[in-house]
Amino acid sequence: MPVALERLLNRIAFGLSLFVLVSPAILVFFWMLSLSLKNEVDNTAWPPVFIPNPPTLANYVEVFARNNFLLYLWNSIIVTGGAVLFGMLIGVPAGYGIARSKSAKSAVLILIARMTPALSYLIPLFMVFQILGMIGTKSALLITHLVITVPIIVWIMIGYFENIPAELEDAALVDGANTWQSFRHIALPLARPGIVVGGILAFIFSWNNFIFSVVLGGKNTRTLPSAIYNVLTFEQISWGPLAAAALLVTLPVLLLTVIAQREIVAGLSAGGLKDG
Amino acid sequence: MTDSPALAASASSRKLAEKPYDFSRKYWLFALPAVIVVLSVIVFPWLFTVFMSVNDWKIGGGMDFVGLDNFRTLIADERFRESLFITIYFTILAVIIPIVLGTVAALVFHREFPFRGLLRTIFVMPMMATPVAVALVWKMMFHPQLGVLNYLLSLVGISPSEWVFSTSTVIPTLVMVEVWHWTPLVMLILLGGLAGMPTEPYESAKIDGANSWQMFRFITLPLLWPYIMIALVIRTIDALKVFDIIFVISEGGPGTASETLNIFLYLQAFQFYKIGYSSAVVVIFFTIIVALSLVLLYVRQKTKWNA
Amino acid sequence: MTDKRTSDVTRRQLLQTGASLSVLGAVGAPAIISAANAQSSFNWKQAAGQQIDVMLVKNPRSDLLQAAEKEFTELTGIKVSSEQIPEQQQRQKAMIEFSSGRPTFDVTMLALHVQKRLAYKGKWVEDLRPFIDNPAITNPNFDLADFSAAGMNFARQADGALTTIPHFVDFWMLYYNKEMFDKKGVAYPTSMENIIKVAQQLNDPSNGVYGFVSRGLKNANIPVWTSWLLGQGLETIDPATGKLNTDGEAAIWAATLYRDLNKNYAPPGTIGFNWNECQTSFMQGRAAMWLDGIGFATPLEDPTKSKVVGKVGYGVTPPGPKAHHSATFADGLGISRASTKKTAAWLYIQFMTGKKEQIAMLKAGAGCPARMSAFADPEATKSSTFSKQYFDCLQSSAKIGRPGLPQIIPVTEFRDIFGVALTNTLSGADPAAELKKATEIFKPVLEKSEQG
Repeated sequence: MPVALERLLNRIAFGLSLFVLVSPAILVFFWMLSLSLKNEVDNTAWPPVFIPNPPTLANYVEVFARNNFLLYLWNSIIVTGGAVLFGMLIGVPAGYGIARSKSAKSAVLILIARMTPALSYLIPLFMVFQILGMIGTKSALLITHLVITVPIIVWIMIGYFENIPAELEDAALVDGANTWQSFRHIALPLARPGIVVGGILAFIFSWNNFIFSVVLGGKNTRTLPSAIYNVLTFEQISWGPLAAAALLVTLPVLLLTVIAQREIVAGLSAGGLKDG
Repeated sequence: MTDSPALAASASSRKLAEKPYDFSRKYWLFALPAVIVVLSVIVFPWLFTVFMSVNDWKIGGGMDFVGLDNFRTLIADERFRESLFITIYFTILAVIIPIVLGTVAALVFHREFPFRGLLRTIFVMPMMATPVAVALVWKMMFHPQLGVLNYLLSLVGISPSEWVFSTSTVIPTLVMVEVWHWTPLVMLILLGGLAGMPTEPYESAKIDGANSWQMFRFITLPLLWPYIMIALVIRTIDALKVFDIIFVISEGGPGTASETLNIFLYLQAFQFYKIGYSSAVVVIFFTIIVALSLVLLYVRQKTKWNA
Repeated sequence: MTDKRTSDVTRRQLLQTGASLSVLGAVGAPAIISAANAQSSFNWKQAAGQQIDVMLVKNPRSDLLQAAEKEFTELTGIKVSSEQIPEQQQRQKAMIEFSSGRPTFDVTMLALHVQKRLAYKGKWVEDLRPFIDNPAITNPNFDLADFSAAGMNFARQADGALTTIPHFVDFWMLYYNKEMFDKKGVAYPTSMENIIKVAQQLNDPSNGVYGFVSRGLKNANIPVWTSWLLGQGLETIDPATGKLNTDGEAAIWAATLYRDLNKNYAPPGTIGFNWNECQTSFMQGRAAMWLDGIGFATPLEDPTKSKVVGKVGYGVTPPGPKAHHSATFADGLGISRASTKKTAAWLYIQFMTGKKEQIAMLKAGAGCPARMSAFADPEATKSSTFSKQYFDCLQSSAKIGRPGLPQIIPVTEFRDIFGVALTNTLSGADPAAELKKATEIFKPVLEKSEQG
């Protein structure tokens, strides 16, 4: 009996800790969804209304009707998409080059670049764009977002390329292939999972950044995260539209997390952080 | 690094047989485009910041070389010193709590149980969510009269809190958001550590009659320690960098109660437009981050050694 | 579309009834005729086909401006792309975009109590005098003399340049919940000190009702303090001598009043409240009195948002120990120097600060228009949603208006430094010590800005 009892207690304790760990995440996302589906009266009701009854899409309609939501979405796609694509184009080969030449100094440089707060790049880049007259342009935003995407892609790729045995390529090189061919035909295909991971993480971090766009974005160029801060915010207590907009902004990255969770976990726990 | 003996052997034998080849050659070419980008958008801003930090420069005004004056003023600036203190206070809490909770979470998710994948995804989601978006939702939840959190507190018989609307509770409240956001990362790092753990020590400990606490204390924890150290350094750097959630939820207030270094920096640069002065803050901040990054690197090397 | 034919018709109609109209015109209905005249002689269509970008501050006036865009486009053929940005962000955006030299908007709303001198020094906006003097682009009915002295004082720079057209003048006053006052048989406070007593009587925290609410958030809280300080007959910085009145006995008295009201009789969390949180408390029937600008009245009488519709009293800021004033602020519309569509921008400003739009603002309870003629219109003050008391309060406040913020360049620093000091008093710090410290920090900032 004691064994059975202990096992039961064990189970209860385990279930309880699981509940404590997961419920905060559920609460916040649930509340975000709930606010976005209720009308104003229910949103400010006391005691709070948890389940929207009946649910309304009016808040979403308002977000699209009263704001240039689609424009901001498009800006986000251009800025983040451009910064990720360009980051991959130069970051993947760089990761290979650094891994193969075992250049510890470049690796340290990349690490420091990754660790430096985004805000500290903002002041100098702001001044430069100011001098060049590029404040409020999408190109300025895209260039600034490279600060986020390039280091993370290079860093993750270094890890992946290091784990591909150099001997595979040595054979090809001896057979007369040049380094480009050996990269292109041997290392690159093997590092595909790393490319996916690096791309996804760079996308998420770039998408989530908001302070660059708050300062550098113009009326027609700002990205989604700064748009919800700049344009919507707290007008009286219109919580419904605000919650709806917040949910729409973060939805792409949440979906990506759910779909590619295995890759993200791999990237963050293995390629991105553990290895070096 | 993984060794693959068979391939290595064959490659090296052939290498010896044929002409010698310099394998380190030309690899820098691969990095060249990235080097150019990194130099122009990352290294140049660093140097430019140092340049600006020794000048008195306000947007819309002229520029004067002032040497180290900005740094001197900074050290005497009570608000700067206060922000350092607030940053340290915030960082300590925002490092220790996620490490403890993340360790528990890693142990929980290391076990097999129904819906593990789904629950883990939910648990990891906060880490990926757009900080501004969730910060806005938190802010609505913190509303002292209409917020859902005070209602939930009242359900369990706790009197309402003023959350971010009081100087004494604002930092713990922001730490709570930060813990919510980043405990998953600690969990993932430690989960990676747990996955690579040998099983033999546990088996022999079981035979010796050790209970689960003893097994955790004397086997898991020592083996996990290097990973905890990595998580610790990464958390420290991340906590120092926190900006979005504080900026959106409390704007550094009430008063200056949650004005961390980052918020102070933003205020000086983009509210008062003191470019030189704020650059000096960046230089100090940057030095701290570089030092911590080097610690991280050192810890990482050691981990490799131990593992 | 007002093409040639319709304007001809108008003219012919005018000619037909010319005699009677001219009599009438002299007597009582000049507005109609002059509007018609203006349309026939002034070419509103001269910039047709252009599109202008407008940056507005989020507030009820901007809602009205946006609502009038359709009519403006019909009249002029100019398309308007406007957006409202919350106050703090807008001030930052204006600074960043103007100093970049390539602002993304042609017209901007400026908070003159904050941005007036900055805008002039930074050469953000055009001097509008040449525009007004040019009959080709200025409607003969524009009538600059119609703008109130309070508004023009805010808009005109020290050297006479007119960088914005005043659009809205804000007077601080006391919203109060008449139902709560009646229930407890309490009378409207007769003096600033008396507010404490009244707040005490109406305070009922166990039922979630508080006696008083006003802004506690740093920066935003400054006008509350300056409102009280005006009761001592002082502005924070003496406009004539430039002397700082921020740590004297009067300033300490004002800060103490600020602290006592916001700490003892206001809802929990007031320390983080800006006007919108205060408004929410008042609208939800959680506060008996709310000190703020008169321009926030619209939603209070909106049944879909407010629980106090019909119960709101509009009181003039009570007199202080030495003087009786209402803290005054103003917004204006200006044209970016870098704009390439200045004529279109000027037409927009003329239309939006025109008599009709100003009357609309008054009618909607969105605040006090800068034009005096708006009050002369009997229709405007006969509103269905707003009581006579509202308009009386407006006019009485206008008579005792005095600037609520100093006209200096580093207003942001001023608001930040003293805002923090005031907020600190809510957490228990001593008002005298806080003000002394803040004054010491601010003094060099001010001196430096006045030199440069």
